[in-house]
Amino acid sequence: MNEPLPYPAAPVRHGSNSGQPMTRRDGRLKVTGAATYAADTHPEGLLHAALAVSSIARGRVSFLDVEAAKAHPGVVEVITPQNRPALAHDPDSKTLPFSFRMDALQNDRVRYAGQPIAVVVAETLEAATEGARLLAPRYEAEAARIGFGNGLPEPAPMVGVGAPGRAETGDLEAGFAAASQIVETGYETPAQYHNAMEPHAIVAAWDGDHLSIDMPNQAIAMSQASFAAFFGIPVQNVSLRSPFLGGGFGSKAILAGPQVLCILAARMLGRPVKLVLTRAQMYGPVGHRGATRQTLRLGTDAQGRLTALEHHAVSETSTFDDFIEPAANASLNLYASPAILARHDAMRMDTGTPGPMRAPGEASGSAALECAMDEAAQAAGLDPLTFRLINYAETDPISGKPYSAKELRACYMRGAESFGWAGRPLAPRQMRDENGLLTGWGMGSALFPAPMFQAEARAVLRADGSALVETSGADMGQGAWTALAQLAADGLGLDIDQVEFRSGSTDQPDGGIAGGSGHTATAGGALHAAGRDVVARLTELATADPESPLFGAGNSGVTARDGRLVRNDDESRSEAYADILARAGLEALEGTGRGARDPANAEARAMFSHGAVFAEVKVDPELGQIRVSRMVGAFAAGRIVNPRLARSQLYGGMIWGLSFALHEEAVHDLRSGRVMNADLAGYHVPVNADTPAMEALLIDEDDRFVNDLGIKGVGEIGITGSVGAIANAIWHATGVRVRRFPIRIEDVLGL
Amino acid sequence: MLFHRPETLENAIGIMQAGPVRPLAGGTDLYPGLRDGPPPAALIDLSRIAGLRGITREDGGWRIGATTTWTDIVRADLPALFDGLRAAAREVGSVQIQNAGTVAGNICNASPAADGVPALLTLDAEVSLAGPGGSRRLPLGDFITGVRRTALGEGEIVTALHVPDAPGGRGAFVKLGARRYLVISIAMVSAVVIPAQDGTIGEARIAVGACSAVARRLPGLEAALAGCAPEGIATVVAAADLSALTPIDDVRGSAGYRLDAVREILGRVIVAALGREG
Repeated sequence: MNEPLPYPAAPVRHGSNSGQPMTRRDGRLKVTGAATYAADTHPEGLLHAALAVSSIARGRVSFLDVEAAKAHPGVVEVITPQNRPALAHDPDSKTLPFSFRMDALQNDRVRYAGQPIAVVVAETLEAATEGARLLAPRYEAEAARIGFGNGLPEPAPMVGVGAPGRAETGDLEAGFAAASQIVETGYETPAQYHNAMEPHAIVAAWDGDHLSIDMPNQAIAMSQASFAAFFGIPVQNVSLRSPFLGGGFGSKAILAGPQVLCILAARMLGRPVKLVLTRAQMYGPVGHRGATRQTLRLGTDAQGRLTALEHHAVSETSTFDDFIEPAANASLNLYASPAILARHDAMRMDTGTPGPMRAPGEASGSAALECAMDEAAQAAGLDPLTFRLINYAETDPISGKPYSAKELRACYMRGAESFGWAGRPLAPRQMRDENGLLTGWGMGSALFPAPMFQAEARAVLRADGSALVETSGADMGQGAWTALAQLAADGLGLDIDQVEFRSGSTDQPDGGIAGGSGHTATAGGALHAAGRDVVARLTELATADPESPLFGAGNSGVTARDGRLVRNDDESRSEAYADILARAGLEALEGTGRGARDPANAEARAMFSHGAVFAEVKVDPELGQIRVSRMVGAFAAGRIVNPRLARSQLYGGMIWGLSFALHEEAVHDLRSGRVMNADLAGYHVPVNADTPAMEALLIDEDDRFVNDLGIKGVGEIGITGSVGAIANAIWHATGVRVRRFPIRIEDVLGL
Repeated sequence: MLFHRPETLENAIGIMQAGPVRPLAGGTDLYPGLRDGPPPAALIDLSRIAGLRGITREDGGWRIGATTTWTDIVRADLPALFDGLRAAAREVGSVQIQNAGTVAGNICNASPAADGVPALLTLDAEVSLAGPGGSRRLPLGDFITGVRRTALGEGEIVTALHVPDAPGGRGAFVKLGARRYLVISIAMVSAVVIPAQDGTIGEARIAVGACSAVARRLPGLEAALAGCAPEGIATVVAAADLSALTPIDDVRGSAGYRLDAVREILGRVIVAALGREG
């Protein structure tokens, strides 16, 4: 709590809580195991469900030995397309841009490996698991179409969640005609899976037509409405609790078939049912980051200025729904170029539908763009940082709008200084460490949008001067329990210890979604506003009351601080909240707030977080073994609510960048279409020993337009820039430009 | 499913003889292997049998009980001869796996990428078996017969490994993986070098893992290294015939890379086993 602030105090006014590097309020619960996750829920009469999933990627299920499964002791029911009760809502329909077609046993078709084909419900998990195994499915299999060579190409008019698949500005051909040098290059990124430590889990219980759900969820109110639609009940009849998530990364923002099936089983059997996916079952129905093949063309003039920038991405999606990784859009907002074209195509394959995974589009697109920028700098004979400064965008390249704030230049300078970038040799393979290992330095720019969604919050000041604040936020491990409470406390003018924060349930006002790195800004904005609302009401009471020392001070004449209203014109005259309430005869005073962006600002400005990442790698010259030895990131993301948690988020993103660069890849068997490494032994993420010395610098940024509080997000930006920085450092160490991720050790030997 | 927990070797052999039953020691290979298949009809837990666990001095060498864990190896006060085995022990899964996984389990599982096998091969380890027909002892190289195949007969279990003394010998081991830890090998090399009086190599024993169905000793290279001065190692390794190795292309690495990497690691491991800084 006493850690000094590692950056100068921001010019925006901090309350006594925001800006402080507080430790997690839920830390004790987490380390003692007292924090309850969905799978910890054990209602009376609980049944356990196990999924049977397809081992083929395409075809139909021709036989399930339902009798054998049902005969197993403890098995209560086997649900297949034959007996699956009707749903009020077609799982193959698409009602919202954020809803995906799902597999809920609507027929016997198989459209990807790992698709649920039956649910076995039993008195114990063991019996359910054994029952699922006894189903011994048989299939009529068709050839799986996996990989870019076997997929079905298709144009992609829309990408991501409702974004256009093509964006352009300027005259591209004129730009390339004016170029003195054109770099054309291509990068491949693999399918990746979220692999949250906590698997998807749900416990569903019905009471008449009221449904109660415990599940990890990044979009509580949206899920409540969707579940209500599936089961044909009023929205308010769905109660959903999600106090803690063991990681989400996008995969827990979108409803999936297994959840609907669990709820259906509970209704069918009239008892609560729990379903927890196995690790292997998370490689199918719950989303992933689609593979991409990207090509880039960069034209530069004699001074190294971009004259044209073209970025094309082919993104993998499923055969039955669209989530097109919007990778090429990474080139729209970062580097100044008179002509830019970003466009996308889809490649349909027999996989589960991809979905948003931490920095969807930005991560894959940044990886390719930052490497291509490095290639262009190399071709121009320029230092990679110098090249980026030459192409620094003072206004948003694609829209021409001013940025709401952009401290990227400071990120470059502070990051480079802290890393020791100066003096880096231009040519590769020039540096060795004391052990003879090839050493390389690389960098990349980081960029992530600063969106806001819609959220509501309620604050109740109690008679004793303490407060209760509520919004249905989602703590995925990022620290929402703490950062949101800090903002709520500041809104109320209370110390955080005086604030009880309730979150993570449909009992509370809609906290919006924890996604897009917009949760703190949105839900935090709503909480802060709710607190200000209470203070405004309190101020009205006090200043209108002749008994109060604040009488006549006027609404703008007092400040809320430490549980007191203080006259601005005379700080010796103040009154405690509790006293104001007591004299007014009030047990409580309630306020509400909304978090949303001012539409005028949203229209007028481009809003992004920015950063610069520098990486050092060591490569064994004979074995090609790659180790990242240092990473320094400098990020400007508006007002930092909690520097400790923000740095933690940024480290996490940067380590994920390392993971993207060197480790992560889902490997498919092209014949069966199955993911062959659907476990954490085969699907590599970095272990602690792979994690380098890390530094995340928080660059002060005063953004007066992004929202009232000047808050942007830090959840996803850390991946961007980091992948390219590492890949570029590997080139600098070895002279080998690897254009396929993850970079394997044999790649750098040119084998 | 039946779960037997005998406390004596005699009881264990009796149970093994009576019917199909799978031996369970640390369970670190057995349990993950059960994930997708039918469970065995019966398991026999060998961990309660006194005398099966621990490292003891015996005539002419060392006895490593079958259920000795990798953590036991890491913590044991063993001579430099065992440095390679100790290094391998630290690379078997994670610390939790090392606490549970056993030396005999590693050889009985007979994975081509078993971390313990190359080091045990260079220690000239022999395997003691006990079964309904009595006891027998055979070299480790004869015990592992193929991928997931061993010379264990019906009803037999491994009771111990035996490592003969090799005065002055020093072991070394290097495992190459795609990440720093918790990783299945791309290739691994273990060596034991017994130096001669003049500082040259008196005797060298070399084994390579994850590059053939069963980890292999390299007798040709071993012979060429005998009498070799430290500065001559690189030349001998560069000329070594590695045709006994038959690596495969897989997600962890290509066959070509494996062969290149093995040659490089061989040089480093032999130098390390000679007690020189690589």
